[in-house]
Amino acid sequence: MIAKKVLLVGNFGVGKTSLIRRFVLNEFSEDYISTIGVRVSSKILKVDSTEIKLLIWDVAGTSDDEKVPKAYFMGSSAAMYVFDLSRQETYTNLEERLALVKELSGLKEITLVGNKKDLLTGDELEAVLGSISIHIDLVTSAKEDDNVEDAFLALAKQSLK
Amino acid sequence: MKKAAEDHIKDKRFELLIDLLLADDRQDISLLKEELLEAKNFKSKVDPFVDAKIEDLRQNFPVYFGDTITETIKVQIKESQDEVVEALYPIMGKLVKKFIASEIAKLFESINNTINEKFSVKSIIKRFFKGKKTNAEDVLQEVFEPVVEELFVIGKESGLLIGSYSRGNIADKDMVSGMLTAIKAFAEDAFSKEGQDLEDIKFETFQLSMMNFKSIYLATATSGVLNAEFKDRLTDSLNNLADTILRNRDYLADESKLNNLLEEVLKDLEQK
Repeated sequence: MIAKKVLLVGNFGVGKTSLIRRFVLNEFSEDYISTIGVRVSSKILKVDSTEIKLLIWDVAGTSDDEKVPKAYFMGSSAAMYVFDLSRQETYTNLEERLALVKELSGLKEITLVGNKKDLLTGDELEAVLGSISIHIDLVTSAKEDDNVEDAFLALAKQSLK
Repeated sequence: MKKAAEDHIKDKRFELLIDLLLADDRQDISLLKEELLEAKNFKSKVDPFVDAKIEDLRQNFPVYFGDTITETIKVQIKESQDEVVEALYPIMGKLVKKFIASEIAKLFESINNTINEKFSVKSIIKRFFKGKKTNAEDVLQEVFEPVVEELFVIGKESGLLIGSYSRGNIADKDMVSGMLTAIKAFAEDAFSKEGQDLEDIKFETFQLSMMNFKSIYLATATSGVLNAEFKDRLTDSLNNLADTILRNRDYLADESKLNNLLEEVLKDLEQK
């Protein structure tokens, strides 16, 4: 079986851990658990006919002032940048943030995911998506289990490229 | 005859007097009698119900009052934690003391057996020819024999598990490898020791050691007392192992082949 290290990055509280919990354990909790810098989870999934074990590194924060060890980003095959659709500060300067993750990880592509879709009305969601100039790969809700599997499938596919 | 008639009249008067004097008392007595009879009747009627209820309560006490009592006890314990601790402390203290005494007795027995064995003529002659180890090291090693519990071969940057040998039952070795790599990276970054690697993490008699190579690192978890000689042997074995793996990269691509190699290396280490 192929094993791949994949990263989940993004600001604190955007729902990275919730997405992983939903994907790995099919659980959702309203409680906020701040991860201590990084937490590694694993999940086996099938991409086409290939069985792949994803080692998901849940990395808290991305900017230099958040003091994330650069080594966390090394050796990864794919990365997902998660932002909170309901908090503007998590999706401002997305281009810069993605460039930083690319630089630290050496990856050429990053899957961009907007989470917490359930907190917005249809109109609000449209307005937020319209305000972001770069391509968003998926819009998810860990709470309502919306698009979570697809987001990780996209991540797994990216890791096989 | 006249006298008898007078007597009769006297008697009648006397009875009349008694009736007059005792009328109230007789009424009270008859009332009391009625009340007593009534109570007796009531008791005979009610008793079976009361008995049945008592029996029901006796049998179903936990059902009726279990939750209330549990809740009350919980509240009581919560509100009087200090008192509970004070009450339990002497009992727990005795238990702990008893446990420690029994463990120390076992330790003494083990040390005595080892000393007796080590100071036997046979052993002294053997050591005379073998040399090197001190008696203390010898005894300690026998009592707390060092054992390699886990051996992981991990990708240095990715933290991916390439191969492993395990005596224990670690549920998710991949996750452990990832977290170990993260802790290693965190410690190296936090203390800004560029070019230096985290090598040991100790928990009392359990030690995690990491040997770093260019693209991989070997993580071992050992229990027992690690004396200098065992450390030397382990280091030699791990260096040779890394040399074999890095010279023949097939091991990095074939997990079962690598796992067999790890098992062989550890068997050799134990037999030395």
